[in-house]
Amino acid sequence: MGAVMQLAARPRAAEDGTKKSRYRTAGLALAIVGLMGTAVSVIGNFTAASGIDAENSYGETLAWTFGLSIFSFGMIKVAISIILMGIIVRLWFRVDALKGSLALLHGDSDDKKRTALGTTDTEWGKATVTEAPPKLLPIHRMARTMWRPMLAMGVMALTAGLISSFVWAGETPGTESFRQAAAFTQGVEFLGEAMLLSGIAFLLGTIMAGLREGGGEVQSSLGLPITTLKMPATAKAFVVLMMMGLMVGITQFVLYLVAIGAADDPASFSSWSNWLGPFRELALGLILAGIVLALVTIGNVLAFQFNRVQQIIRTGN
Amino acid sequence: MATTAQPTTTPARRQKPPSTTRPDGFKTIESTTSPGYNQPQLVARKMWLPMFAMALMGWAVGFILAIVEAGTDRADEAALQTLSHLVPAFMFIGFLGVFSSITFAVARILGAFRKGGGEVQETAGSAVQTLKMPGTAKLMLGLMMMGMMVMAAGIITNFIGAGFGTSAADLIDSASYGAAGSGLRRMGVALYLTGITFGLATIIEVLRFQAIRIREVAEQHGHAH
Repeated sequence: MGAVMQLAARPRAAEDGTKKSRYRTAGLALAIVGLMGTAVSVIGNFTAASGIDAENSYGETLAWTFGLSIFSFGMIKVAISIILMGIIVRLWFRVDALKGSLALLHGDSDDKKRTALGTTDTEWGKATVTEAPPKLLPIHRMARTMWRPMLAMGVMALTAGLISSFVWAGETPGTESFRQAAAFTQGVEFLGEAMLLSGIAFLLGTIMAGLREGGGEVQSSLGLPITTLKMPATAKAFVVLMMMGLMVGITQFVLYLVAIGAADDPASFSSWSNWLGPFRELALGLILAGIVLALVTIGNVLAFQFNRVQQIIRTGN
Repeated sequence: MATTAQPTTTPARRQKPPSTTRPDGFKTIESTTSPGYNQPQLVARKMWLPMFAMALMGWAVGFILAIVEAGTDRADEAALQTLSHLVPAFMFIGFLGVFSSITFAVARILGAFRKGGGEVQETAGSAVQTLKMPGTAKLMLGLMMMGMMVMAAGIITNFIGAGFGTSAADLIDSASYGAAGSGLRRMGVALYLTGITFGLATIIEVLRFQAIRIREVAEQHGHAH
């Protein structure tokens, strides 16, 4: 448990920031394994596609290829999470490097007038100028707390889904038990995917928290007024999309459990499946859309911070 | 006798600055000014939003078609057969858009590091060292393009499948196209996700390089020097 809590934690001052990241190596290796898992499932799909005829629907093959491919996507998403943990650690090394370097590089402007406190406009949106480093917003604190449980629950749900897909593959196509296993597998696997993506979204929120906290720390260490970007509209939309996606992800799982109850009637079950498939994909889509906006926000915050560093080097203010 | 340069109609080819390998193993390009964004980063800055919009439109159409499919009479085999292909095709046009958008957003972040890192060194009065495009960044681009092509092949397979009729042979072909299409689409997703992993891994290396480089610049050009 202690080791898990140490993941993505701020490195100790004595730690060597020049060494290669172990998070990077582990993440890349796991992503390759996930890619290979998907390749195996795709071969299964092509085998089924070439063999389907009037007697054999290859339903069993398509059941385990579904389970394996979604599980493999989950592995790559865990790999992305590990890499994001590595980025969080590296951002703290960056903060330490900037603090030490700007103490030597900051300029000495003739104009000693300090920037007025309050709100100011920048190329990247509105910013606040304060004496003290800004506190983290509730969403930042939530992100720092929630990424671990989300990833853990996501992995558990996906593992359950993979096992369930093998049970599904063992059933006879067209039977009630086949449909029940199909519904449970699809529901639980996409619940796992939604949780993993939410974990990634919370890690991105943790990166934003680190940028906010680190930016304040660097400016504060130089005794300067602290300029911080206000929460941009892209960040607000990210939170809304991610929360909506997670809720739809949980709802689709509940609805698949309801659909299990309709498995005795093939026509009714078929109608349920028709819209639940895209509905579960919509859950992931919403979270992914949120992730795009989170990455765009991070890009803007970084550009703003680079500009602020240049300002400090030029003017010392 | 003084010689004059002959006018030429073809512009001189822009020379790529030579790359050097630093003692710490980083391959860098040195210049006097910030190199700004590279070509893929410029494309990424322009394309993330159209791809994002495409994703939203693809999902909207796909989901509406899914509701139509759910409400279609189970005896209407022709409509059900067509919709069973069109729904995943449009949903995955959405996924193609969103995964491209994520990849472009990662490239946009790398652009912020490249441009900003160069400008900071330039402002400090130092020679500008920029990381040569790492192998992981090239892999990100390659995997994204492969992912896009494979996923597009899956989507096209579904569109072809949507055109089949309702004879017994057509229904078998339709099921085969459905299985092949879903395999291709999933492979596309995995390639995209792996590309994104490589892109994020590049950010780790860029951060490591820039933390080392800013300390060097401070040692060489800081007040204590």
